[in-house]
Amino acid sequence: MNRRTPLDYSINKPLSTDYNPLQYIVKDIPLFISLILILSFGLLMLYTSSGQSLAMVSRQFIYILGGLAIMTLVSHLKPESYKNILMHSYWLGFLMLIYVLINPAEGYSTSRWIDLGFFSFQPSEILRLILPLSLVAYLCRKESKIKFSDWFLTTFAALLVSYLIFEQPDLGTSLIVFTSGMIPIFLAGLPLRIIAFYLLVIAFISPYVWSNLLEYQKQRILTYFDSNVDPLSDGWNIAQSQTAIGSGGFFGKGYLQGTQSQLNFIPESHSDFIFSVIGEELGLLGIAFLFVVYSFILWRVFKIGLMAQSTFERLACCSLGFIFLLFILINVSMVIGIIPVVGVPLPLISQGGTSIVVHLLAFGVILSSKRPQL
Amino acid sequence: MEIRSLKGRFRVILYPLLVLCLIGSFKIVQLTVLQQDSFEAESDKNRIVEIPIYPARGLFKLEDGTLIAENIVTQELLIKRSLLGISKLQIDLLKEKVFEETRKINLPNKNGNPEEFILLAGRLTDKEVARYELQKDSLPNVVIRAKLRRYLPHGNLFSHVIGHLGPVDKEDRVIFSDRQYSYDAYVGKVGLERAYEQELKGVSGKRVVEVDVFGNQVREIERISPKRPSDITVTLNLKLQQLAKEQLNGRRGAVVALDPNTGKVKALVSSPDYNPNSLNQSELANSLSKEDLEDAPFFNRAISGSYPPASTLKPFIGLLGLEAEVIQEDTIIEDKGFFQLKEDGRKYRGWKEDGHGKVNLKKAIVESSDVYFYQLSSQLTIDRISDFLSMFGFGEITGIDLVTESKSILPNRNWKLGTMGETWFVGDTINIGIGQGYITSTPLQLAVSISALANKGKTYKPTLAVQNNFNPENYFEVFLRDVQHWDVIEESMISVIESWNGTAHNLYSEDSISIAGKTGTAQIKSLMDQELTVSEEYEDVRQNVRDRDHALFASYGPIPEPNLVVVVIVENGESGSAVAAPIAKKLIEEYQNEQKNEQTNPS
Repeated sequence: MNRRTPLDYSINKPLSTDYNPLQYIVKDIPLFISLILILSFGLLMLYTSSGQSLAMVSRQFIYILGGLAIMTLVSHLKPESYKNILMHSYWLGFLMLIYVLINPAEGYSTSRWIDLGFFSFQPSEILRLILPLSLVAYLCRKESKIKFSDWFLTTFAALLVSYLIFEQPDLGTSLIVFTSGMIPIFLAGLPLRIIAFYLLVIAFISPYVWSNLLEYQKQRILTYFDSNVDPLSDGWNIAQSQTAIGSGGFFGKGYLQGTQSQLNFIPESHSDFIFSVIGEELGLLGIAFLFVVYSFILWRVFKIGLMAQSTFERLACCSLGFIFLLFILINVSMVIGIIPVVGVPLPLISQGGTSIVVHLLAFGVILSSKRPQL
Repeated sequence: MEIRSLKGRFRVILYPLLVLCLIGSFKIVQLTVLQQDSFEAESDKNRIVEIPIYPARGLFKLEDGTLIAENIVTQELLIKRSLLGISKLQIDLLKEKVFEETRKINLPNKNGNPEEFILLAGRLTDKEVARYELQKDSLPNVVIRAKLRRYLPHGNLFSHVIGHLGPVDKEDRVIFSDRQYSYDAYVGKVGLERAYEQELKGVSGKRVVEVDVFGNQVREIERISPKRPSDITVTLNLKLQQLAKEQLNGRRGAVVALDPNTGKVKALVSSPDYNPNSLNQSELANSLSKEDLEDAPFFNRAISGSYPPASTLKPFIGLLGLEAEVIQEDTIIEDKGFFQLKEDGRKYRGWKEDGHGKVNLKKAIVESSDVYFYQLSSQLTIDRISDFLSMFGFGEITGIDLVTESKSILPNRNWKLGTMGETWFVGDTINIGIGQGYITSTPLQLAVSISALANKGKTYKPTLAVQNNFNPENYFEVFLRDVQHWDVIEESMISVIESWNGTAHNLYSEDSISIAGKTGTAQIKSLMDQELTVSEEYEDVRQNVRDRDHALFASYGPIPEPNLVVVVIVENGESGSAVAAPIAKKLIEEYQNEQKNEQTNPS
């Protein structure tokens, strides 16, 4: 790492020698291009995995445009100006979770959805990114050192919303939301004593939690350990998606040529399992392309984060980067069958307006942290 | 917050995640590169389905081309087994509106493959189909399907020859392992349908189609047409078969007629019979009543029924006597009505109380003297009798192309020791001398043995189904020490009918063709009472119809060139001459007429 202080940088850099309007609008051209690349790739894959549904693709396209607009808007704001809003957005998420528990949307077996008529979404999906941002905003609300009680307070805040999601019931998402809440807390410097204390508490209460899990949640965990347990449900899904990826081989069966996906053997092929369609139709090569672009995005995000000026910016970028990586990891691991099935979309690729918009919002936060000179 | 501390913590999270990324990448490489082939196969297995195409079952025809078993299209109603439990209302509606309570619905077994379509009602009438179409919307779980079913146009007539089909079961799948059967396939269960199952089935073709996850066919990839099975020609003669059935007239019994020169079976009737069409699901029939079942209509008496051959065995014993030089043609025995081994021993009584007087071999056969054969067999010993009779096929299956043939029993010392745990007594031999005791034979076996007499020793394997280039298959040939002995026996058997004292003289008429035959009256109950005469004791026995003697007649004709051997058995018919013999004569005569017609106007 270079040891120049941020101040040095602004002095040494010549002032706007080559003014680039694109640079000005998108703030980080490499990141922006790779985002556009992956979003277009996602649209292509959505077209093949949705049974070549143009309607679904255009809907997704509109969300992408909206998301990009929000991203660009946020990227031009000063983090200081929206920090407080982010901090209080926790309560918005909290209220939405309470709302779905009291008022479950009709037509769904679990109380996860809010139906706005033209648009329905899962609050937990928003929470995955809102929670870490609000916690970072809370921890960095003052420049002074973080108070001891704040560690417990933020942990409690993360636990609270996770519990509400667990009650929906949705164990997988609840764990993911909790993890994405704990990442910024840890990065912010959660003292080791408290970590040790947490681990002790977990060790003591986990047997009690297990006995309180619902049957299908236990089933999901057990399916992971033995995919022969219930071959027609989760195990079957995993087997089908493994078959899809495996049969794709190195070069894949060709775009729109995947038999597993085109003949509907892959469950949820346009959302959670879209990765297996990529594997089947584009092969290892397609997967490698995807991973290269993802890696580049992450590298860019971490670079921006570690070079950011304020603690808030650094923490926000790094947390969001890790969460982004975590989602990719969880989704891919689930699709290739090394972890149980959890409802996590493949970031920026899977069908789903909320997921796209929230992710692009997060990238807006990241871009806004970018110092113009970088 | 210190940037350095952040970087430390950054790495704490980053490195484990990178390790997980590595694990995931390794797994992906493993899936796509190392296991590609197996997953490719798996993926093909998913989407590519082979649908077999079954050819229509082969037909049965007679040699003159008459169709005796064909396939007809029937409309049937089916239901998926998994829906059976929840479709009670629909089935009630079906009973009420479609069948108008006129027929029962067989409610099938709920256990089994839940995806299977199971038969609710077969062979719908046109009206029932029309009523079903009207009610279709209220009967979503009940589906209609057209299916080829086996149909025998002559109904019961060929039931014991052709047999019937039934749903394929586990055992069938093992036996016919080289064939694929659909879950609802019907296979031959008995008769020629069973024996020629492989040939009749043909070779199934297949359609290779691509399906989606819901099983919908997306496109056809390949089609291989099924190979149509060849039809099978049955040797039976329609007229003889009809005549034999008509003559038995529902009585329990059997008729076997075969051509001694080829082994072709010309009539094979077991009575009572049944309607194979109802089992084949091609005809609606009333189920058999309990009384019907008491007569065992499914039992093929002609090939599986073991009866004592009774006096029809006497020509064979006589022949052995001559061959073994125990007697000469003119050896005379005094028949006083009973036979004793020793002065004070048990009396073996003949059927005629006062005896037949002085009898030689011919008279013994013509009048069916029991005493003559008691004495002869006591001198012959069981070993010689058993060996000799085995040369004529007793105690062995004939190998006819039916599946349920019985071996019956040709006893010898070892057999008795093994089966009853007792040593052989001379008394046992004496009983065998008149075809009673332990010895049994099926009507078919008897017919084959008689054909050896008719053919001077040479026999052919009895055959029901023939190919185009039919060659009679040698079965066995008996060589005598002196071929003159054939004629002695044949003359005696002709005299059974032609001589005034013959037991079947009732068949004789001057202008009719010449027939050789032997009557038999098989006792079911042993008559052991030494005080009463045979006829007195039998009076008591015959009170129970099922204890009455079986009537037998074994014959061939016309002499000198016999072309038909006929064996008739009428259970509890009492009189071989009065009940069984006329049937045999009618068959032989009818066959001669047929042959003559065929020669004058060959088709």
